[in-house]
Amino acid sequence: MAGLLEFDGLSRRFGTVTALDDLSFSVPSGQVVGFLGPNGAGKTTTMRAVFGLTDLDAGSVRWNGEPVGATQRRRFGYMPEERGLYPNMLVAEEVEYLARLHGMDTGSAATATKQWLERLDVADRATSKVETLSHGNQQRVQLAAALVHDPEVLVLDEPLAGLDPTGIDAIGEVLVEQARAGRCVLFSSHQLDLVEDLCESVAIIDRGRLVARGAVDELATSGARRLDVRVEGDRQGVWAQGIPGVAVSEVDGGEVRLVLDESTDSDVVLEAARAAGRVTEFVFGRRRLSEVFREAVGR
Amino acid sequence: MKALPVILAAIAVVLLVRLGVRLRGRGRSSRLGGFTSGVRGGRLLGDTGLVAGREIRERLRGRLFRVVTLILFAVVAAAVVIPTIHTGTTTHQNVGVVAGPPALDAELQKLATAVGLRVELVREPDLSAARASLSTGDLDMVVDGGGSILVQNPISDTDTSTGARYVRAVATALGAQQAFAQAGLTPEQAAAVAEVKPWPVESVHPGKTARTTEEATALLGVILTFIVLTQYLTWTLMGVMEEKASRVVEVLLATVRPGQLLAGKVAGIGAVALVQAVALVAFALVLAKVVGSTLVHGAAPIVVAATLVWLVLGYAFYSWVYAAAGSMAERQDQVQSLALPLSAPLIFGYIVSLIGVSSGSASLLVKVLAYLPPTAPFAMPTLVGFGEATWWQFLLSVVVSMVCTVLVARMAARVYRTAVLRTGRRVRLRELVPTLAK
Repeated sequence: MAGLLEFDGLSRRFGTVTALDDLSFSVPSGQVVGFLGPNGAGKTTTMRAVFGLTDLDAGSVRWNGEPVGATQRRRFGYMPEERGLYPNMLVAEEVEYLARLHGMDTGSAATATKQWLERLDVADRATSKVETLSHGNQQRVQLAAALVHDPEVLVLDEPLAGLDPTGIDAIGEVLVEQARAGRCVLFSSHQLDLVEDLCESVAIIDRGRLVARGAVDELATSGARRLDVRVEGDRQGVWAQGIPGVAVSEVDGGEVRLVLDESTDSDVVLEAARAAGRVTEFVFGRRRLSEVFREAVGR
Repeated sequence: MKALPVILAAIAVVLLVRLGVRLRGRGRSSRLGGFTSGVRGGRLLGDTGLVAGREIRERLRGRLFRVVTLILFAVVAAAVVIPTIHTGTTTHQNVGVVAGPPALDAELQKLATAVGLRVELVREPDLSAARASLSTGDLDMVVDGGGSILVQNPISDTDTSTGARYVRAVATALGAQQAFAQAGLTPEQAAAVAEVKPWPVESVHPGKTARTTEEATALLGVILTFIVLTQYLTWTLMGVMEEKASRVVEVLLATVRPGQLLAGKVAGIGAVALVQAVALVAFALVLAKVVGSTLVHGAAPIVVAATLVWLVLGYAFYSWVYAAAGSMAERQDQVQSLALPLSAPLIFGYIVSLIGVSSGSASLLVKVLAYLPPTAPFAMPTLVGFGEATWWQFLLSVVVSMVCTVLVARMAARVYRTAVLRTGRRVRLRELVPTLAK
């Protein structure tokens, strides 16, 4: 079931604040697309616009060329940024209820609920009240609620926020699985580097505008070359200062990340490093998504 | 100052209800609930039906609901049964007669019939034997032909039971007969004097000296309406606020239209309210029949029906307003500050109607309030209780209320749609003016 979710010229202002500024990009089904940007960039407003939860001053959201309306949304799954579940309801009942609101009959809703709770490893809490679950487990139940009706489109706002590595792996696995099954998967995160391994492509926004879009591999390998170098006795990377065509991007625990101009030969860098001390690391690195973002916005 | 006890009782009910609201807020997390394997309720009414079904299920499951329902049933039972105990339901007494002429027996039977009592006369050989039978409870009273009456316990002047009224009637009649005999009247003359009827007394201003059955029923109805409306409107207010506070409303509105969500909530809670009210009324009617209460005699069933009709209309009118207000808040303290002004017209209509019932006549204010949707749920059943509402007046008030409910529901839906997704702080009414003006 190939499909395309399109954001076309979305604009939204809240008083003097511009949340979305002519934002356009599309999300094809079959891959996990990360929707990235710093806090306040407009990610949540964009995602809420898919579900009609915020009014747009201009632009439209389309699914397979059709404007998204109530009928399409029934086939969409949504996980809001601030989790939304009835705290007093029992886990299984709550997921089942939301499944039914998406049009499933009683039997199918019960079966799908059972399957998803098992798949997300919270079946043993099916008869517990939602409020008694840990943050991570509530997150899993929220994901089950977004997936239970087998949606064509999954829109997840910060699904990994506050999770431990196990939780991130579990939810990440499900997202990849859904994409492989042909679903359209869009999820947001403000932690750009954290989700790099999970996404196949990304849309990065800042101040309501799209600043980068493309496959993660392409973005990571394009642009200036990066070198990660570690020299014994110089944890601050003083040795690298002043090398023509070389800029120090980051210094982290003795490892210096350098950005090389196209004309700069890496041998020159290696010689400078060896002159400063014993070189214990000298690796060409990929461009991280945070670097893609910084270079795109010039900050 | 006849109205004073009623006013105090009304204020007590208001305070109890408000206390209940506070406790309800604190005790929300302690609700019990058993797991059911499937979400019941079909898609007969679409998403609205599903939302309503969830509301019904969650409300019925709550321990608070069960406790409040039990208390309400107990209050209604007390209201029906206690008056019958006070007025006395004794229908049979054993009366001992000592040294009385045979004509005395006929006189005692005649007086018993007059007060609605069946008596069995027992001839006693002497006063000491009669006194012994009275002490053991074999006799309820003893009439001594020598000129005295013995009873088991003293009878107060305010005792209106059948037995007490019979004792007073016997004492008065036999005393009068003795006086007539001493005056030298023939039995015919004595009988003629005994048949004396007081002249009728008419007042210039209309008024009532005793509460009719219909008024008593209206009084109970007004109190029941106030309790049920307050309880369920608070649930509506809190329910909407909790959905907003927990952000679940965002998940719901991603697939359900705001109007459907709002209507489902209002309908679900309203259905529970109606079922509870109907069950209470049915219970009251059956109990009244069993204990011989006068509460359901005459036109009282019409008052009961009017109360139920206005309970539904009152909830329908107010529920939208409360739901819209709930969408403007996301914390308990914000709800409290919203609930107070909302409940003002409700309390006003309730108090004015109660004073009207207790004063024995419908004031002009009650007659006016009976046509205003916020106060009609109390004032119109009161007018029906007084027999001062014709069918067309009743119908007119119903139509006015229904039209206003539709208008209020439309505005409430707009407010809800706008306010329920605005989070972070309480939404001010002035922020919604552009929405309402559309």
